[in-house]
This record gives sequence, C-alpha cells and structure tokens, in this order.
Amino acid sequence: MSTSTAGRPYALIAEFETPASTLHAAELIRDAGYKRWDVHTPFPIHGLDGAMGLRNSKVGWFTFLGGTTGFSLGMLMIWWMGKVDYAIPVGGKPLFSPIFAFPVSYELTILLGAFGTLFGMFFLNRLPRHYHPLLKHPRFRNVTHDRIYVVIECADPKFSDAETRKLLEHAGGRHIEIVED
Amino acid sequence: MASSAAIASAAPASAEFPPILARLPMILSVVGGLGALLGILVPSLHKQFAFSWLLAFMFYLSLMLGGLFLIILHHLFDAQWSVPIRRIYEHIACCSPLLAVFFVPILVNAVVAGPEKALFQWMHSDPSHDHALMAKQALFNKGSWVVVSLVVLALWIFWTHAFRKASLEQDKSGSASCTRRMRVLAASGIFVFALSLTLGAILWMKSLQWQWFSTMYGVYYFAGSVWLTVGTVFVITMFLDRSGPLKPVLQPVTYHDIGKLFFAFTVFYAYIAFSQYFLIWNANIPEETFWYVLREKGSWWGVGMLMIFGHFFLPFLLLLRIDTKMSFTVMVPLAAWAWLMHFCDLSFNIMPVLHPDGFVIHWLDLCCMALMGGLMAMWFIRGFKAHPPFPQKDPRMAECLGIHVSAAKPHGGAR
Repeated sequence: MSTSTAGRPYALIAEFETPASTLHAAELIRDAGYKRWDVHTPFPIHGLDGAMGLRNSKVGWFTFLGGTTGFSLGMLMIWWMGKVDYAIPVGGKPLFSPIFAFPVSYELTILLGAFGTLFGMFFLNRLPRHYHPLLKHPRFRNVTHDRIYVVIECADPKFSDAETRKLLEHAGGRHIEIVED
Repeated sequence: MASSAAIASAAPASAEFPPILARLPMILSVVGGLGALLGILVPSLHKQFAFSWLLAFMFYLSLMLGGLFLIILHHLFDAQWSVPIRRIYEHIACCSPLLAVFFVPILVNAVVAGPEKALFQWMHSDPSHDHALMAKQALFNKGSWVVVSLVVLALWIFWTHAFRKASLEQDKSGSASCTRRMRVLAASGIFVFALSLTLGAILWMKSLQWQWFSTMYGVYYFAGSVWLTVGTVFVITMFLDRSGPLKPVLQPVTYHDIGKLFFAFTVFYAYIAFSQYFLIWNANIPEETFWYVLREKGSWWGVGMLMIFGHFFLPFLLLLRIDTKMSFTVMVPLAAWAWLMHFCDLSFNIMPVLHPDGFVIHWLDLCCMALMGGLMAMWFIRGFKAHPPFPQKDPRMAECLGIHVSAAKPHGGAR
C-alpha cells in the first residue's frame, strides 16, 4: 500500500438509526449544496434518490450506445460475409436482406447492450476498486446490519471541518468522526 | 385499519366529466349508428359493411380481452402496483356482454349470407375440392364455427364478471377470501384466456384466408390487443387522476409502471410480428407466403412499413426513457397513436381480402368504429360510476401506497 496518502482526512462520517432521520439529513445536505457525498444503508430506502437530489442514472446511454452498435455490427457482418466477401446463392434468396440478418443483429443488440450496461456502470462507479477508506472505519461495518451512514468527502468544495460537522450534528447524526485515507 | 378507512373516505363518489366529453360517446354512437344502419339497408354496401363491422368488432374485442388479461396478470403475480387501477381493467373487461351483442351481425352474416356477401368464403367452398378446407374440417365447418364462437363469448362473460363480482364483494367485506377466489379465477383463467383468444382470432380473422397457416396468429392478436389496452389504461388513469376519483391512491410511480408495461408490449408485439413474417419468409412455401404476397401489393406495402416504423420503432424509441413514460404530453398522443396503429394492423389483417389493391378507409369503417366505441365508452362510464373508483379494502393497497402496516401480533405463540 502506498503511504503517501495514508493518514490524510478522507471524509466526515455520521451515523443515523432510522430511515426518516436519514431522509431528513439528506435533504439538509442536498440543500446546503454539497456535491461529493453519499449515504450508505443496509436496505433500500424509498425516496432517498429524491432527498439526495440524485438525477436519473446515465448508464442508460451506455446501454443505448452498446445496443445500436450491436445492431449495426450484426447487419454489417451479414452483409459483408454474404454479399461481398463470399457469396453463396441459396434457394433463390437475395444475397443480403435485413430479414435474415435480423436475428443475428437482434442478438448482438442484446449482447452489446448488456456489455454497455455492465461496463458503463463500472465506468461511472469507478469500479473495480480494491480499497476504500470507509472499510477501515470500525463502526462502518454496522452498515450491513442496522445502521445508516452519511459520508461527506473532504474533497467537496463546500467542505469545512467545523461547518460540515455542525450541519451533521444539526441533522441528528451521531458518532461524527473523520475517516482517514 | 385506519389507513384504508382514511383512503376510502377521501375518495369522491364519481368522476365529473366536462360537458363535451360527457356527451361525446352518445354523439359518436348516434352518428355511427345511423351510418351503420345505412350499411345494413343499402344492399350494395352489405359486403363492405360486413368487413367494416368485423374490423371494428375485432378492435374493441382487443380492448375487452386486454382488460381481462390485465386482471389475470395482476392476480397471477399477486401485484401491488396495479391495485389502484385494477377497477379500470375490470370495467373495460366487463364490456364483454356488449361485445357479444356486437357479434350478432357477424353471426348473422355467417349463417344467412350467400357466397357473394359472406365474410367467411370457406363456408361456401366444397371440402372435396379444397384440400386446405378438408384438412381443417374439424374446426372449419359451420356448426363448429357457431358453437365455438358462442362458447368463447360465454366464457369471457363469465370470467370478466366473476372477477368484478369478487372485487366488489371485497369492497364491502374486506375479506381475504375474495382475493383468494380471484387468484383461483386467474390461475384457471389464463389457460381459458389463451385458448379462447386463439380460437377467436383464428375463427373470426384468420379464417378469412383459410388456406393459410401460422401458429403465431393467436399470440399476434394478443400482443397487439394488450398493447392497445395498456395505452388506453394510461389515458383513463390520467383522466381519473386529474378529475379526482383516483387522486388519493395514485403515486407518480404508477405511471412509470404502466409505461413499462406499454414498452414491454411494444417490444413483444414486434417480436411476435417479426417472427411470424421471418419464419414464413425463410421457409418460402407458397401455401404460407401467399398471405404476405397479397399484403405487399399496392398501398398495403406502405401499411406493412407503417407497422415496422410506426407500431414498433416510434413507440420503442420514445418509451426508452423514464421521463417520457411519465410525461402526459408524450403518452396521451402516443396512446392515440396506438389506437391508429392497432386499427391499421387489424385492417392489414382483415381488409386485403376485400380490397386487394390497397389500403382503403371506408366511411363505414369509421361509422362502425364510432358506434361501438361510443357504446363501449357509455357502458364503461356507467359501470365506473356505479361502483367505488378503486378497490376499497384490497389487502395490498397499503403496500402499494408505501404505508407499512405491521401484523396485529407477531408469530410465535403467546408472549
């Protein structure tokens, strides 16, 4: 492990016990204008997207791009192989028709659409990532059990140790601590 | 439970329609009815009238069967999201007796009409000179046609009304046994539905060209029907939300969910329609291809292209995004477009027999559409106004609204 960044403050973490208080806290942080922050929960909380001010995921664009690439690639492949590169007339049928090229193009649409989704998601989430500062935090393991954590990164332009701590306290967070990188 | 009581009391008794809209079904049915009457009275119009009537009948049958399917789907999956809009399905499906009445002219044509005016020409063909008819004689004889037609209509009337009866009973009793009964009806009904719809599509539409083969045909009609119905349900839901009756129980996500179903059937229809075409195109057997050859002549070619780009690509691309699925300004025109597309689709299936040279919209088509549409709308509104606008005591309602209702007492004996 590189030691150059270790020990630097990474984020301010606060613990919450109920979905309701978390939603309220998320709204406060959203309205305060923070950008680099996240909420970690042991189960899905309905309405959290809205409370955090999250927009719809951009991953759909990767799916669409993958899908259209797959479809065009399928058509192009069948056309190239059957009409240009190695023509074999069968049953009086045309050497190329979008009709018989369709099943292949359709399957490739799905395949590359799925690849687009998966790798687009990885790209947007900056995955794979083998190390995360939060995993060092002793209390954070409760996130898979019964506690909810709000994490505001120090890299956020609005971050200030005193102000952000005050905001989290005001929102009802407990065990507010600095997590080191 | 306090929550469901509060929901029930918040609901107004019925929808208030703007005056023009309230009178529209009546105007449509009177104007359409006069036109249709002319079609019956003038002998030279008889044949066109029979085809126009069949087209309109198959169109509104799509809506009714789509409604029945959505009820069955709801109970088969024990869905919670569609509880608030289930009554819309039930009232659409309960138009089944009206559809049985609409079937009468078709029945009369089949039984009475001579070869020059008959819809179903195979009834006037001699099986000993017609191999295709000989092979299909078990189903394709006048007696079977009449009996099977009446039986499937009776089954639809029974199933649709059994569902609505159980649903309305639960409004009063709140008993879980009603839900149980509807599940049994759904589990048995899905088989009845699949078989009866396929038989209906074959007997009334496919048998116009009885020499043809397609194992896809029932599914093809089904896919288009449910697509049309889901789009229609979206608009009715939006209207009932804005005018009040459904306001207390609808969530924004309900529109997203209906939109997703609409999207799914957009793709499913295209998949089925393409598969049917693809298999026949690839096999290249004259007994099968003649059906499509007829439909690639004249302006029917254009209608075929309209099916690919208008019935599939346009809605597909529009519905990809979440925000368009929830936008009224996109979805309302799209639902109207779905009506036009389904009309063209059914015309593509029925009309080339009468007009082999190309696509024609005859004024009798419009009259029959207006008459049946007006009557069906009146029937639907009457049913909707007579009963609570959404299931009052459905056990899944609270869950649908995001309210957590804990069990009265945890399991595990006395504590």
